[in-house]
Amino acid sequence: MAQNEDDVSAVSRRDFFKTVGVSGLATGVLAATEQQAQAAPGTLGPGPVPVRLTINGRPYNLHIEPRVTLLDAVRDHALLTGNKRVCDRGTCGACTMIVDGRTVYACSTLAIETQGKKIRTVEGLANGGTLHPVQEAFCDKDAMMCGFCTPGFVMATVALIEKFPHPTPAQIRHELNGNVCRCGTFNRVLEAAAQAGGVNHG
Amino acid sequence: MKAFAYVSPTTAKDAIAALKAGGIVRPLAGGQDLLARLKDYVETADTLVNVKQALDATVTPAGGGLKIGAAVTLDALSTNPHVIRMYPALAEAAAKVGSPQIRHQGTVGGNLNQRPRCWYFRQEEFVCFKKGGNRCFSVDGENQHHAIFGNDGPSKIVHSSSLAVPAVAYGARFVVAGPNGEREIPAAEYFTLPTMQNVKKENVLGDDELLTHVILPAPGHIRSGHYEVRFKESRDWPMAFATVVVTMNGANVASARVVLGAVAPTPWRSEAAERALVGKPLTQATAEAAAAAAVEGAKPMSQNAYKIQITKTAVVRAILEAAGKRA
Amino acid sequence: MAEETMQQPPAANPNEPSANAKKYAWTVPPAKTAILSHRVERVDGPAKVSGAARYTYDINRPGMLWARAIRSPHPHAKIVEIDFSAAKQAPGVRGVLAWKDPGAEVMYQGDVVAAVAADSEDHARDAARLVKITYETLPFSVREASSKDPATPKIFATGNTRPGQATDVGDVAAAFKSAAHVYEATYDTQVITHVCLETHGAVCEWTGDKLTAWVTTQGVHGVRQQLAAALKIPEANVRVICEYMGGGFGSKIAADASVVIPARLALVTGAPVKMMFDRKEEHLDTGNRPSAFSKVRAGVSADGKCVAFEAETWGTGGAGQGAQFPLPYIYQFANRKRAHLDVYINAGNQRPMRAPGHPQGCFATEVLMDELADLVKMDPLEFRLKNLPPTAPDAMWGEYFKIGAKKFGWDKRRATGEGGKGHLRTGMGVSACQWGGGGRAGNAHVDILPDGSVVVKVGTQDIGTGARTVVGIVAADTLGVPLSTVKAQIGDTDLPFAGASGGSTTTAGISPAIRIAAGRAKEALLARLAPSLGGDASKLEIVNGRVQVKGGGKSLTWKAACKLLGQEPISIDNAWEPGLSSVNTSGVQFAEVTVDTETGIVKVDRVLAIQDCGLVIDTLTAESQVYGGVISSINFALFEDRLLDRRTGQMVNPNMEHYLLASIADVPKVEVMLMNMPERGVIGIGEPPTVPTASAIANAVRNATGATLRSLPLHPHRVLAALEAHKAGRKA
Repeated sequence: MAQNEDDVSAVSRRDFFKTVGVSGLATGVLAATEQQAQAAPGTLGPGPVPVRLTINGRPYNLHIEPRVTLLDAVRDHALLTGNKRVCDRGTCGACTMIVDGRTVYACSTLAIETQGKKIRTVEGLANGGTLHPVQEAFCDKDAMMCGFCTPGFVMATVALIEKFPHPTPAQIRHELNGNVCRCGTFNRVLEAAAQAGGVNHG
Repeated sequence: MKAFAYVSPTTAKDAIAALKAGGIVRPLAGGQDLLARLKDYVETADTLVNVKQALDATVTPAGGGLKIGAAVTLDALSTNPHVIRMYPALAEAAAKVGSPQIRHQGTVGGNLNQRPRCWYFRQEEFVCFKKGGNRCFSVDGENQHHAIFGNDGPSKIVHSSSLAVPAVAYGARFVVAGPNGEREIPAAEYFTLPTMQNVKKENVLGDDELLTHVILPAPGHIRSGHYEVRFKESRDWPMAFATVVVTMNGANVASARVVLGAVAPTPWRSEAAERALVGKPLTQATAEAAAAAAVEGAKPMSQNAYKIQITKTAVVRAILEAAGKRA
Repeated sequence: MAEETMQQPPAANPNEPSANAKKYAWTVPPAKTAILSHRVERVDGPAKVSGAARYTYDINRPGMLWARAIRSPHPHAKIVEIDFSAAKQAPGVRGVLAWKDPGAEVMYQGDVVAAVAADSEDHARDAARLVKITYETLPFSVREASSKDPATPKIFATGNTRPGQATDVGDVAAAFKSAAHVYEATYDTQVITHVCLETHGAVCEWTGDKLTAWVTTQGVHGVRQQLAAALKIPEANVRVICEYMGGGFGSKIAADASVVIPARLALVTGAPVKMMFDRKEEHLDTGNRPSAFSKVRAGVSADGKCVAFEAETWGTGGAGQGAQFPLPYIYQFANRKRAHLDVYINAGNQRPMRAPGHPQGCFATEVLMDELADLVKMDPLEFRLKNLPPTAPDAMWGEYFKIGAKKFGWDKRRATGEGGKGHLRTGMGVSACQWGGGGRAGNAHVDILPDGSVVVKVGTQDIGTGARTVVGIVAADTLGVPLSTVKAQIGDTDLPFAGASGGSTTTAGISPAIRIAAGRAKEALLARLAPSLGGDASKLEIVNGRVQVKGGGKSLTWKAACKLLGQEPISIDNAWEPGLSSVNTSGVQFAEVTVDTETGIVKVDRVLAIQDCGLVIDTLTAESQVYGGVISSINFALFEDRLLDRRTGQMVNPNMEHYLLASIADVPKVEVMLMNMPERGVIGIGEPPTVPTASAIANAVRNATGATLRSLPLHPHRVLAALEAHKAGRKA
């Protein structure tokens, strides 16, 4: 952080927003674009449209704009708030859901694209009052602290175990690499994933 | 992000037609880059055309090589046995992109066409050349990740596609479809160095065109190596990387391709490094000589001279991997 | 932290154990306890792993609106005009609010100017972009060096710098004269941000003149007080709830704009309002750890005794906040002198961040210690042992160094710079930490209900440390019932007052109150049961949920016993009392790293953390705190860096992509040794383990390569430069 300290002085912004700025900033980007009425057949929106999602095996008939992400659709419209929004840019994994068997960042997936697909959220794992083995392992190993990253980690671990029923430590690290924890539970997540999958030191 | 309309055509033809719907139209594939840009107001769109149903999502044999559909996911690419066997550097590059979640969604087309990860480009406050502004903020700013080659033009970004580098090294050709039909472009000619005329783009793809396929030529008796220098092992961008493809004449190199990544606004082919390899055995000494040649002419900015050393390391290690000398 | 402002009952000797503390002293050793100090699973684990735990971000109320702040893009500017006209016409907009008025100045990028509320989050975002704010930009500084420069024009009303407390102990000049070696170096650490995964925010709902606020906070009671003051309403009219919260690390103690804005917009619009900051806002405006620069001169005697220390230090806590840190750290320099300068820059203000000041002071001191050890040709561990304060229950470093050295294999450590021949070099480093901890602000209410339920109410909150579990364990252990019998209620101002969860004070603040309240409740219960069980309460005991006569005889199940209470439950309140908790912890850490000298990449291979915290309530969750502290310090050492563009004053990495954080592939093997000291009572463990890892890593890099890293983070560009300087034989 100290690098190039010396070549800096308190500069007034000579050529950048000289005296007047607007909060919206990128006026060029904001400028209205000519909307022509030649939309391609089948074009939906930009206003709310019917979107039918299958979440944890149950149908949800939502009325949402095409811009609504899968995460926001699930949290704010289907009211399943287990998966979290943290970075909202596909970098932290707290929103991880399993769509057609594969983990995705729900914050970086449009809800409208997931129609007809099988969406699994953290709420869909437990069977009645019985936790999924991965959830059990997270509790046993205390693989959580504040718990905000936990649903995403649990989903990523479920996908890991479904892909590699007895994962090696290397496979665990590779498959859980898209999730970030700030409290620092990683070591115990590794233990939990190993427990959930049965130990394989290969 | 601003509200947009959405359409999901099922043929490439319809998808290309949809790109001309009026207003700002953007193709949506995996969306891992596009949605982040829209959310950060780096750009806005009036309509998104989901091209995943319209584009090919298969890897098929073609003329002794492979034809890879633009809608193939990075996960599918990295685990495809043909790709792993014939073009291991491409498979490895795909396997290292982002995270499992990104590889499940991200596509070949999306990766090749992704926009720069330059942190000035990614924040809406910085209205740089690429966003219609009149400066590149990295010049007198925080440029530790910026270009050390090809940085004479207005923008000093580094190209962010991991697949682009092995694609150039393997001599891939890109199939581009537009309103007037298809054209094929060598990968090396697809990516463009910034000039004041084209600075808003990183390649020759028109707004009304789609990249539909990547065609990899028959590999023949090549050996390849790929090495990415990564600070973090988890989801992050490589600091510099290299793909090396060689053919051998006995113990010596007959021909070589050395392509560098994350060092220039395009995948950066180093003919000097290639010359340093030809006619030599694949030894540590040759690798080091080639690496030294590769960074000749580098023009570091105020904070990124360290990338020269890192680039050299990537070249040495990629060459040694091609030689089978790295564990 | 916030604890200092809490009222305490005056006492002649505040540390003298109270009568209750003596009566209800902790059962030691823990081997004799049923669950206290055992490895107990988090009681709210199932809620967290299943998504059932409801955080503030998850609260949705009928008719709820979403609010969005509008912030300054400029590092320093005067607001000329705020024009809401276009925003008010936007779809779904229900209310607007000027947070600052025209004429006021914004002091950093991200300073809040206004806010809007709309019927959806997307509409609120859309409308926020339509609020037109005209600024007159003003000169700014985003570098400590430029703010320190006397030539820089005055940017801050009170001046660009403020001298901090100076120290001057002993005869420094004479000590330097007598020193065999005098050494000079400058150390610095960067600004990092808290990156709470749950961003700051609140959901506010009015019912008449009463406000309910769901707030992601480390202190429900403090937030109530501040929110009521900000809104000018009685505290009695405000209820703050925080059942679960997604990380705070010191940044969520005050009622900031993220709470007051939704409260005010809810009042204006007559609807519940939710506001959650986005990731960029979180980086810009919810606190950070200040930078720290230390220009140090140290004198050491020929036999390795630290004799003299002189330092000029500075750092920035942003646009008007301090940047103090302890220096020298732990090790004893008999003669020392220090002058400190708080430097202001146009950037978001600091807030306490996990062990405020300590990681910074620890880094400068511990790296210096390794350099001095080489100067006197001593093993760095031996050198440390020679300069530690005397061993005491709250100063155990010497013991821990010896235990750790054996466990870690310190004898295999090679001399500085001899970490191998190839491009991969390995080395070891060591470092120590201290922390006060020990809270006093806690009240507990214990109900034993006739159906056998036990309800324990404590107005604390769980910031991830496991407070709910601590409440349950202390009550269950004291009563002699299984943990599942106890229902712990926390996170609500309707519950008895407890202090903010800052400074590692929660467990020490609440446990004594719960212990005594539960002990008294048990006594009251036995007194009520005595007539049915032989008449003498003093002969009764509760073991594993059975009420029985000591030494055999009649016994009752817990449920049957409680049934005898009839219609009148046992209900006991108690405040914190001295004698069951104390202060001051010590710890040491060892790190081993591999440095790739061809890339400058440092990989941490393993860490050993030895840490005490007094009486361990739950070994499992206390260990988690240590793991977490280590990981967080690795992030500080290697990855995190808030980068401000020098020309525009704007942050270039306000995200989780370019603001680097470790994930699972980046973490080393971590071994935790908790040193349970039950006789000292409860102290606290949240902060100390995050102090020493970074400096142990820097020392390990030096040991591996000979290159000294005096600047964090250890990005490859710094490591390569240090290697280059070392190779050239110059001082880096």
